[in-house]
Amino acid sequence: MNVNIVVTGHVDHGKSTLIGRLLYDSESIKEGRVQEIQKLAEEYKKRFEFAYFLDAFDDEVKEERTIDTTGVMFKGKRNLYTLTDVPGHKEFIKNMLTGASHADIAVLVVSAPEGVQEQTRRHAFLLKMLGVKRLFVAVNRMDTTGYAVEAFQHIRAELLPLLTSFGYQDMPFIPVSAMEGDNVYKRSTRMEWYTGQTLIEAMDDIEVVREAKPPRFVVQDVYRVGIEEVAVGRVESGTFSAGDDVVFQPSGVRGRLQKIMVFRGEIPEGRAGDSVGLVTDARVQRGDVCGLAEQPPVARSTFLGEAVLLDKNLAGGEELEMKCGTRRVKCRVRELREKIDSETGQVLAKNPAGIDENEAALILFETEPMVVEKFADIPELGRFVLVRGKNIGAGIVLEAAG
Amino acid sequence: MPELQDLTNRSIYILREAYAEFKKPAVLWSTGKDSTAVLQLCRHAFFGKVPFPVIHIDTGYKFKAMYEFRDRVSQEWGIDLIVAQNKQALREGVSPHNGKFECCTQLKTQALMSCLEENHFDALILAIRRDEHGIRAKERYFSPRDESFRWNYKDQPLEMWDQFQSMTQSGAHMRVHPILHWRELDVWEFVRQEKTPVHPMYYARNGKRYRSLGCEPCTFPIDSNASTIDEIVEELRETKIAERSGRAQDKEKSFTMQKLRALGYM
Repeated sequence: MNVNIVVTGHVDHGKSTLIGRLLYDSESIKEGRVQEIQKLAEEYKKRFEFAYFLDAFDDEVKEERTIDTTGVMFKGKRNLYTLTDVPGHKEFIKNMLTGASHADIAVLVVSAPEGVQEQTRRHAFLLKMLGVKRLFVAVNRMDTTGYAVEAFQHIRAELLPLLTSFGYQDMPFIPVSAMEGDNVYKRSTRMEWYTGQTLIEAMDDIEVVREAKPPRFVVQDVYRVGIEEVAVGRVESGTFSAGDDVVFQPSGVRGRLQKIMVFRGEIPEGRAGDSVGLVTDARVQRGDVCGLAEQPPVARSTFLGEAVLLDKNLAGGEELEMKCGTRRVKCRVRELREKIDSETGQVLAKNPAGIDENEAALILFETEPMVVEKFADIPELGRFVLVRGKNIGAGIVLEAAG
Repeated sequence: MPELQDLTNRSIYILREAYAEFKKPAVLWSTGKDSTAVLQLCRHAFFGKVPFPVIHIDTGYKFKAMYEFRDRVSQEWGIDLIVAQNKQALREGVSPHNGKFECCTQLKTQALMSCLEENHFDALILAIRRDEHGIRAKERYFSPRDESFRWNYKDQPLEMWDQFQSMTQSGAHMRVHPILHWRELDVWEFVRQEKTPVHPMYYARNGKRYRSLGCEPCTFPIDSNASTIDEIVEELRETKIAERSGRAQDKEKSFTMQKLRALGYM
């Protein structure tokens, strides 16, 4: 199974080192790479670091911090992993979100000597918002606290209430040392008080379950293939079959699904994740969402969302653009209801005039007609990005009422 | 294999997004395995055709077999081929023997830059993959380049849930990377499944084969006995050797690849 894992946490708590250690101990590092990094470390008069397998920019090596997200792939015993390393600095939250948005599961790294810090909390909050439902906590740098159970228990006690308040349950806390290799890929003999899984054991136990949801298909474009008009796009949820009665919104047209097409010809079904073409008797366009007539998508013009801003100031009443699925529309911040602390999830202010970079908010949006779904029901169509010349924020749909 | 199907689906989605969002996209084709796989993915996405021009950067130093392969495949697939070459630099004697960094910049980056200017392409589809090189692992699917071709890697766009940033400033262009998430092994499994044409140079002869194809003076074969696709797939499952180990421009100095890419190299 393919599993996407994002490794998050505060700067310097050892995210890149942890991934580097996994790659190294699983013998996934290519020949010559170790020598290359030794040479690099000498050149920059630094010690050999596992993090240099990930931190590929010269600025990252010089400054000893990750600037942008990195994706690496490696094979465990059961699963094929894409591990995403993200920066732990506040100024790079945009890159953290980019890396975390495709994650099935997250590892939250906390340094045992430093404890829970600002980005530990913020990353946990953002992961919750993104709908990353499962979390492992790696309590790192246990070597620097003498592998003592006290340091581990202290962090667990501090972090557990926050994670529970975000709705996380049953998350394993694993004491590790990425630098020394304890409990990452190999079981440590230096922490006999810990009898739980190593990180790789916990990872290899992951099952990614796709839940049954109402079928939705987003239209990317309409192509003419031979004599037929083919609506191309992706099945975002559920399954479509030839012969289904379907509805497209916001175009508001109905039709019969005559054929599902791929390059090689017709296929009987399109399943979640499939890039296919639909042949119907309806005239549709990019931005439309298709669903079954008995569980139709609904075009909305207002909805309540929770969003995080990654650019300067967003004011109540402001007009901007929004993208959801393949639809891009004009939208307005009709009510800025609450300003939310992206570290703790606490409400900072009711009806604020605006929010600033890295702040979150509860917002009532007014939009041109578009299909949105409640994030809890169909996440693929329950998330959006805010656009002001470029992508400047992201959020999820809490209530799709009006 | 369902995993290969997942990779393919995502790539097709990305290609269709690029085609919908940009006025004049083009795809870059080195004739190597990766960019040929991207052409085959285009044929999937667009039901048998490649609906935009295909650019081949001809440095003049490519292997002879690559030219023959290029012409045969482009005819078979009905490709609208543009061959771009920096003739002036070649006349002035730019060659790998007088500095590899300068040679790559002149014969590849500069040739591409002129081609983009002449044809007003606003998006370039490229077959780079994260697992090829540490710098490529830092890339976005849609990655803007400014009018001077520079990659502002310190301020890359927010790219969540396949919501790619499609707007560029005037004079700038977007790099689109539809197989960023593929591994080398995935490309070969795709080639095998699709029976995509590949250069014979990838197959071992007398104990050597090319694993990555570039210009003749700067590309070296690896030790290998893999003489069929099945054997290549088996070899890649076990290998500890880096894919681009036979590519000189990656190793001249630390961060050569970063500097090349920051200037617009592919």
